Amino acid sequence: MMKRIALAILGLATPLSAQDFSEGSTARSWNLYAEQPAFFEAQVVDPLCMLAGECAENCGDGRRQLALLRISDDVLVFPLKNSQPAFTGAAEELLPFCGQTVEVDGLLLDDPDLNAKNIYLIQKIRSSGAEEWIKANSWTKKWAAKYPEAKGKGPWFRRDLRIKAEIEREGYLGLGAEADEAFKAEWFQ
Amino acid sequence: MKSIASAMIAVASTLATPVFAQSAGERIMVTGEAIDTWCYFSGVMGGAEAVQGSAHHTCALWCSAGGIPVGLLSEDGTVYMVLKIENDDGSASGDTQLSIASHTITVDGLHYQRDGIDYIVVSKVVADEDILNRNHDDWGVIPGFAIPEPKG
Repeated sequence: MMKRIALAILGLATPLSAQDFSEGSTARSWNLYAEQPAFFEAQVVDPLCMLAGECAENCGDGRRQLALLRISDDVLVFPLKNSQPAFTGAAEELLPFCGQTVEVDGLLLDDPDLNAKNIYLIQKIRSSGAEEWIKANSWTKKWAAKYPEAKGKGPWFRRDLRIKAEIEREGYLGLGAEADEAFKAEWFQ
Repeated sequence: MKSIASAMIAVASTLATPVFAQSAGERIMVTGEAIDTWCYFSGVMGGAEAVQGSAHHTCALWCSAGGIPVGLLSEDGTVYMVLKIENDDGSASGDTQLSIASHTITVDGLHYQRDGIDYIVVSKVVADEDILNRNHDDWGVIPGFAIPEPKG
C-alpha cells in the first residue's frame, strides 16, 4: 500500500513538460535521429478549422491535413506520415475518425536543431475504448481505388498521373528537359 | 469537464461552425521554398540541405501527391505548414500544392503558431520564382533512385 502511495506521489511530482508518451507504445522504430515512441489519446481535428475558423463538412472530406489534439495536455500534434514507407501522409488514415476521440501509436519527432516538435508518424489508430487497432497503412489502397486508370506495375509514385504530368512538363529536377539530360549523362555514366 | 470539451471539439470538427478558442492570425509576408516536410524534419534521407531544391524535386512531388504536408521554408529557417493557398484548401495532395513543389514563392497570409509548430493560411501568392535552389550539382538527386536508370 505504502509503495503504491509513494509511486502515486512520484507520478504527481512529474512535471507536465517531462511527459513521456512511450509507456504502452508498441511502435516500431524507423531509426530516425529524433524519434520517440508515443501512444496517446487525442481528438482528430481539422487544423484549418481550429486555428483559422475555416471549417468544412467532415474535416474537408480528405482534402485537408488533419491533426491530433492530445487529451492529456491539450497539445496539437501534427501527423506528417502514415506507416507506409512509400511517401504517404497521415490525413487519409485520420479522416474516418474526424471529430472523434482516438488512441494512436507511432513516433513523435523532437529535434531542436530543426525546430521539429509535436510532429508525428502514425502507425496505428483505434477509437477510444475499442479493442482492435487499425494499421495506418491504407493510403496506397485508397489511391489505387481512386485512380484505376493508373493501374500497372511498380510503385504508385511511378504511376501517378499528376506526378507524371509534372515530370513531363518540368523534368525530374524541375528545371526542364535540358537540365535533366545534362544531369543524367553524368549521374548514370 | 473533459467530456464536455471533447463533445464541443467533435461538433466543431464535423460541422461548419467552429467553437474553438481561435487566436487571430498574424498577417505576414514571407518568402520561402515549398518543401516536403517529412523528409526535412525526419532526416530519413539525410541532412536538411539535401532534401530541398532541384536535388529533391522529384521526391517533393511524390510526397506532396502522397498527402504529406507541404511546408514553406523561409529564409530565416522557419517552416510554415501550409494549410490553404488562396481558395484551395487542398493541403493533403492538392493540385495547387503539387504545382509549387520546390518553388520559391512569396506569400501574403495569416500566420498561426501552436505548440511549437508554425502554420500559414495563404491569402495570396505574390510571386512564384520557380525553382531557385539548384542544388543537384552538390547533392545529386535524393533519393538516388528518383530518376529511373535509362534502359539499355
